[in-house]
Amino acid sequence: MKNKRYAIVLDTKRCIDCKACTVACKAENDVPVGRDNYRNWVDEEKLRGTYPNLGQSFTPSQCQHCANPPCAHVCPTKATVVSPDGIVHVIADKCIGCKYCQTACPYNARYYNEVIAAVDKCTFCSHRVYAGGMPACVETCPTKVRVFGDINDPNSEVSRLLAKNPSRVLKVAQGTKPHLFYLT
Amino acid sequence: MTRLLEKKLSRRRFIGVSSCALAGVAVGSQVKVLRALAQEGKVGAVTTLPTKDVFTSCGMCVNKCGVIARVRDGVIHKLDPNPNFAVKSRAMLCARGNAGTKVVYDPDRLKYPLIRVGERGEGKWRRASWDEALDLVGKNLNQIAEKYTRAGVVFASTEGTFQDHFFNQMAECYGSPNTLRHATLCLSSNIQGFSATFGTNPTPDVLNADYIIMSGANRSEAFITPDTIDLLKGDGGMRKLIYLDPRFTKTAAKADEWYPIKPGTDMAFILAMINVIVTEKRYNKDFVEKMTVGFDKLVPHIATYTPEWAAKECEIPAADIRRIARDFADAAPHAVYYQGRRSSFFANDTQMRRAMAILNAIIGNWDVEGGMIPNRSIAMTKHDYLAPYYDDIPGRLDADSVAYLSESDGSWSIFRDRVLEGKPYPVKGMMIYKQNCVASVPNRAKTLKMMAQMDFICTIDVTMSDTAWYSDVVLPEATYLERLDPPEVLGGIVPVVAWRQPAVEALFESKPCLWIMQQLAKRLGPDIADTFNFTMEEAIEHQCSNNPKILADLKSKGVYYEADKPVYGSSYGKPLKTKSGKIEIYSERYAEKGLDPLPVYSSPNVVPTGKYRLLVGRHAYFTHGTTTNNPYLHDIMPENTLWLHPQEAARLGLDDGRLVRVKSAVGEETLKLEVTEKIRPDSVYMAHGFGVLSKGQSNVYGVGGCDAALIEEKTCMISGNVAMHETLVEIFPA
Repeated sequence: MKNKRYAIVLDTKRCIDCKACTVACKAENDVPVGRDNYRNWVDEEKLRGTYPNLGQSFTPSQCQHCANPPCAHVCPTKATVVSPDGIVHVIADKCIGCKYCQTACPYNARYYNEVIAAVDKCTFCSHRVYAGGMPACVETCPTKVRVFGDINDPNSEVSRLLAKNPSRVLKVAQGTKPHLFYLT
Repeated sequence: MTRLLEKKLSRRRFIGVSSCALAGVAVGSQVKVLRALAQEGKVGAVTTLPTKDVFTSCGMCVNKCGVIARVRDGVIHKLDPNPNFAVKSRAMLCARGNAGTKVVYDPDRLKYPLIRVGERGEGKWRRASWDEALDLVGKNLNQIAEKYTRAGVVFASTEGTFQDHFFNQMAECYGSPNTLRHATLCLSSNIQGFSATFGTNPTPDVLNADYIIMSGANRSEAFITPDTIDLLKGDGGMRKLIYLDPRFTKTAAKADEWYPIKPGTDMAFILAMINVIVTEKRYNKDFVEKMTVGFDKLVPHIATYTPEWAAKECEIPAADIRRIARDFADAAPHAVYYQGRRSSFFANDTQMRRAMAILNAIIGNWDVEGGMIPNRSIAMTKHDYLAPYYDDIPGRLDADSVAYLSESDGSWSIFRDRVLEGKPYPVKGMMIYKQNCVASVPNRAKTLKMMAQMDFICTIDVTMSDTAWYSDVVLPEATYLERLDPPEVLGGIVPVVAWRQPAVEALFESKPCLWIMQQLAKRLGPDIADTFNFTMEEAIEHQCSNNPKILADLKSKGVYYEADKPVYGSSYGKPLKTKSGKIEIYSERYAEKGLDPLPVYSSPNVVPTGKYRLLVGRHAYFTHGTTTNNPYLHDIMPENTLWLHPQEAARLGLDDGRLVRVKSAVGEETLKLEVTEKIRPDSVYMAHGFGVLSKGQSNVYGVGGCDAALIEEKTCMISGNVAMHETLVEIFPA
């Protein structure tokens, strides 16, 4: 996947917090059942206002596939690697389960998978992407909150969305250079 | 009762040539067992099990979205949305759809026929062979027919499994008029109110509407395809969503305006909108003149229903009602008052639905883009059979109980009362197909009492529901991912045909409904058995015989449709299915039956201080009570809570998260309190599907509270629908 840089653009205004992405991810990636085990999630933001003038937003998230990933920097066995297309991977065989990466990740995007005895997290469903498909969360989303693609391709939908709309990334001050872009 | 067999079913071989292969499934299923055996060297390595993609339909809720089952080495690994199904589902699969693999590989699923050995509800079972279990069911059905009449067995069925038709065929061929389906726990008042007006219950064209008012429908959580998805098209754009709900739901979070309307007063809001539109002459005069009857009677009828009057009832400011009415009329005909689906709220619900229908009618949104569209269908050949004739069978037990009773649905609450009275005749047997009446019919204690007086109860299900738990014989059905099902037309603005083919072979000893009915029929006599003398393949071929493209498309694309866009205006120039052939603002039929011919408002029961109105509602993860035990969905929401406004929590001195006892006139439940501003101070809310009695639902047994245990069963006397929001409760520390 040379010359590609994968990213996800999210339009959270479309999110209805239905959790389809969460279940799709668990099924696709054999994430063990359990509330502490997840590769992606939807945050219910704090209720705004007071009754009866209320508002609420929902923010889906997952591994940010940072260009400067702190998880990789702290790993003592170099089990976390970044592929040329920007996807951050954990090589399960190299992981010794020390969980430094879990602590280092500012997005809390990693969990320890007891079944494979390694830290696990979102891979942008690279096995599906390399086979010509879409990440499970992107494909299944009822209201199409997420768009996945190559930001190095100026004609991709992600590039067009980022050109057309202002966007933000989470915890920009951490300098992690995340690649989940939230339209504002 | 007798139907003519139009055409003997063809005996030709069903030829399965498909990109989604049916061949090879015989090998694969209990793969984990096989793998374990392989590891122990008892069988060869499991390399021959199929890896394939199978087009099928989701079975987790009413929508039946198109699915591609990704099968790896004989195991369903993942369920993906079928992109060809976009015309209906917008090519999505929700949390429940994705959780379908756990229905198949659920340690809690029913594996073998079970016969009760302890007391009912005690949970003592023994495994039986199919022959023994079916012999017992057959013996009991024959005995009840002998001792009472064939009407002495009630057949309670779910809908939409695509095989429920065979269960209902069994009811008819056995000879019982007593079938009970879900409609009177759901939408029968909606169907009645809209049909009395339009001759049909139309579908709002959400995709093309510019202005939508939604009350009593929580579309961002209670999914209906494609509305749930289409509703968001205008987020930040043209479309406006006005949302009325006593709770701040996910739909409220997406709406342009949310009003926490006082429960039971929607009709006041609607009548006031009609008042504004009529008195300010904002209605579609040409349409009203040509297409409707009774407008002249409506004008004086709504004269006193002013916004100022309504504001006192529904607690929405008069200025807002007036503005919304004007904006709604201005947006016409691309404007809909969205009627939703479930309409079991108050006992006057049918008349409230009439008011909704009339409001839609006067702005002239009938059968035009962005308006209310009569459903279309797709022609298929009917499955037919010659039911035996019995001459000594009485009519339905609940006959003549309400103004318009559906012969096939009945009225659950009224039926139950008559069983308990034993009048006009005894009903002593229950055959249940995947309906969970213990958990879903209001007043659980009364349902259990009704079941206690039955001589025999048999439940067919995939899981040990509360109803199965209180049965004598429990028969395991194959899950929707393990069955070949007949194609089913999903009617709507853009109708489609969906079907199911097995992704894997049925696990354990589970069997499809048709097989169970066929085996049972053999035990009930040759006349009944004859009606089931066909294979599923033959039934499918017969059904598709009028149009071979249907089956070809189902095999190659997983869906069949004739148009991918709405067709508008097809109802014009033809009489509607009403008495006058026009849209009936004033209903002559209602007048003849002594019902209000125009909707008359009555205030809901008063909530005294110290009491709260119990509300029910949906979450996007649960389909009624059927999916709370699913491991993936249980992860999202492991228990239910009682929502209470902070002001009332403070008054009662109750903290968030503490256990509370909730008490109504018919029951008491204990669950955790959730203090939240997302609800009116006079109401409380709890999710359905918890407080389960069955130990066969290991994740949710005894967890949280059961709403059906608390709700009183007031009933709409026009449609027979129960009213789920008439119950008041008290809250105590537990």
